[in-house]
Amino acid sequence: MSRCRIVGLPTRVFYDKLGAVMRILTVFLCILSSFLLMNCGDGKNSAQSFAEQKILLLGNNSEPQSLDPHKATAVADGKIISCLLEGMVRPDPEQDGNVLPGMAARWEHNEAADEWTFYLREEACWSDGTPVTAEDFVYAYQRLLHPQFGGRYAEMLYPIQGAEAFNKGHAEWEAVGVQAMDAHTLRLQLNGPTPHLLQLMLHFTWFPLPRHHVEANGGMFDRRSHWAAAEHWVGNGAYIADEHRLNNYLSVRKNPHYYRVAEVKNEGIRFLPIVNGYTETRMYLGGKLHISNNVPPEMIAYAKQEAPQDFCREPYYCTIFYRLNTTRKPLNDVRVRKALSLAIDRETLVSKVVRGAGTPTFSFTPSGAGYKATGPSGIAPTQAERENEARQLLAEAGYAEGKGFPTLVLMTTSRDVQRIMAETIQAMWAEKLGVHVEIRSCEWTAYKAAQQSMDYDISSSSWSGDYLDAATFVELWRSGGGNNCTGWSHEDFDRATETAATTGDAQQRSSLLQQAEQLMLSCHPIIPLYHSERTYLRSSAHIRGRQPRLLDNFPLDAIEVVP
Amino acid sequence: MTKLLLRRLGQGVLVIFVLETITFFLVRMLPGNPFLGERKLPRHIMEQLNALYGLDQSAVVQYMNYWKGILLHGDFGPSLVREGLQVSRIIAEAFPVSLTLGIVGMLIAICIGIPAGMLSACYRNKWPDAVLMLLAMLGICIPAFVIGPVFGKTLGQLPGLSVAGWDSAMCIVLPALTLGLINAAYLARLTRGGMLEVLSQEYIRTAKAKGAGGMRIMFVHALRSGLLPAVSYLGPAFAALITGSFVVETCFQVPGMGLHFVNATTDRDYFLIQGLVLCYGVLIVVANLVVDLVLIALNPRLRAQGTA
Repeated sequence: MSRCRIVGLPTRVFYDKLGAVMRILTVFLCILSSFLLMNCGDGKNSAQSFAEQKILLLGNNSEPQSLDPHKATAVADGKIISCLLEGMVRPDPEQDGNVLPGMAARWEHNEAADEWTFYLREEACWSDGTPVTAEDFVYAYQRLLHPQFGGRYAEMLYPIQGAEAFNKGHAEWEAVGVQAMDAHTLRLQLNGPTPHLLQLMLHFTWFPLPRHHVEANGGMFDRRSHWAAAEHWVGNGAYIADEHRLNNYLSVRKNPHYYRVAEVKNEGIRFLPIVNGYTETRMYLGGKLHISNNVPPEMIAYAKQEAPQDFCREPYYCTIFYRLNTTRKPLNDVRVRKALSLAIDRETLVSKVVRGAGTPTFSFTPSGAGYKATGPSGIAPTQAERENEARQLLAEAGYAEGKGFPTLVLMTTSRDVQRIMAETIQAMWAEKLGVHVEIRSCEWTAYKAAQQSMDYDISSSSWSGDYLDAATFVELWRSGGGNNCTGWSHEDFDRATETAATTGDAQQRSSLLQQAEQLMLSCHPIIPLYHSERTYLRSSAHIRGRQPRLLDNFPLDAIEVVP
Repeated sequence: MTKLLLRRLGQGVLVIFVLETITFFLVRMLPGNPFLGERKLPRHIMEQLNALYGLDQSAVVQYMNYWKGILLHGDFGPSLVREGLQVSRIIAEAFPVSLTLGIVGMLIAICIGIPAGMLSACYRNKWPDAVLMLLAMLGICIPAFVIGPVFGKTLGQLPGLSVAGWDSAMCIVLPALTLGLINAAYLARLTRGGMLEVLSQEYIRTAKAKGAGGMRIMFVHALRSGLLPAVSYLGPAFAALITGSFVVETCFQVPGMGLHFVNATTDRDYFLIQGLVLCYGVLIVVANLVVDLVLIALNPRLRAQGTA
């Protein structure tokens, strides 16, 4: 009501009062700006001040599902868990694909490589000082595989003898080939020769659990247990979880009980769950991160221009491809599938849509880990020739110039890159083959549900490896495999991959897998598009010692942050 | 008055109950489930997980259990995606963030929007009106995902201000400004409309005839009634602001409720969706109740109805 009286006064008095209001406002603004100045500190940005405290600021894509290695499935979670827990072996920071002794000081296996014995280092202990024993590994494997627990990644342990049967409730735990010989010796009996076991063991599903801590917090089967909460974390890795603020950050600090604590370069790491690549890139350029997770294709030119020294592009163990539903007409005709594949100009796709962050491909498994990617035989060298062949094939199948071809639905997720890619391919098919497809962009879960129940015609897909071995790609296409989702199957393919799985000789195994892949590719149940590359930003001023990794699993304790 | 209040409260409880019931069954009708991952889960593991969280029971049993949990134990259930976290903890962590951001944003909106609307009404059809309404129209039309990054790029470089993130007090400035300006635009238009309507009424002409000055007419006679449309907008807008804005939170990496809302829905995190909807529902009901009270205080006609 005071305002009424002010306005009720003669004009001059009113302006006097207005002046008083203005003075109060000025004082308020002064306080606000001094508050502002106080908060600026010394004008250093976060990247600088955190570097001085030797804390790494890392963009980590998404909010972790869980720090419990038996509940987590995402890559982002894996990065954090690999800092907090350590398995028998750890990745070599010097050489991709090489492993170094972790919890195990040494190990040995029989000639067939189906029985492995690991000898734990005596000095290894959990962050509360309790020694790490072979029983902790047994406990972890039993928990992940136990039918009562429902471990989503239990399949990772299926190479162990009897593991699958136990997981499905068909066998007792005693029948599973995991045995603690004594406190520091673990023996694993495997289903068959597994020379690449150590590669598998880098994955967090093979890590031990602090048995005493899990038991004290609800026990083995309690999925709502708080044992893995950051506030009271117990682990055996280079770092201990410190503070977790949902959607903001998860911080970890150096573990004083870690056996290699002197080699750990930084005092801590802050993982920032920034899903949006645009926001992340802006944050990086605004001095809020040392390493970002992803620069989206549309931002590549901008990021290169703003931070040319920091922009990184590295190969990644991942393939972008389209699944074709081979149970539906006309995709049940291999000629149609091949025609669709040949008509896609992959070079244009990679250069225009993902701005060069990929390698165009006709094969599925990326090269690496002793495997050489080879496309199906008889692919014409130029795009024009391929398009001619595609038109011919389509005509043979009875759809000359696309006449009579039904309108298929191309399903993608709502991610920008996928949508633009789908539109580009839609245009290519329409122009080159006269084939029209309709794009349906769904949110992620609906897309995944449709794909897994094979309720689609063509589905935009990607696959990245869990471990560095071609089998993680090739075995996808086995008959009835959970992630096949194309309806395609072939006895010879199944036989070749099964033989490969029980072949000890690495070279022979690799060539068997290669044969199997050739067979699959010649049937075209999928259209491989490109092997993707990671594009991200890394501070050249603050970061030392990071090297590219196909699985993006460079050990974070070997990265050094310098002021 | 008490009767009115009680009636509104009763209506509110009913609204929330219906809202929760519809949400409960709707989210379960969406394709997919919370355990759907990048790779397909073997059937036996899917069954184990469903059994662990009681999702294998019939929808009606689940529904009864849900209310039982809330009413008897105050338990809003676990997050099905971030296992080990309780829905109540997620909301307890995110809500204060959104609340702070919402209050600051709303203050900015009120401090800019209402004076702008009044000024516009004062100078009706003259150049200040045209300029202000053009700006308001821009504020309404340009989406937050454009304003946000533009602010981040330009103002975010100023010392002390933060391009994005939530690690110091000054991080609030840009997201609050983005939210504030968008709402200010709506408020300005509503205030202008409300004021103009009142200014054309006969009692204003009477006041003029009696010799009241322009300022006096504006503040004393017109403002109170002229603000009514703006006030009725403020209630739901405020509730929307403090439950978080997905776009602004994504642009500025703010750990508020909006991010959880969208992620929970796309991830099918059933209990979290329910909890967030409940929270949003309660806030809307409360905000509307407050608006009703303010409107009654401002508008004598409503007061007469209320007491009648």
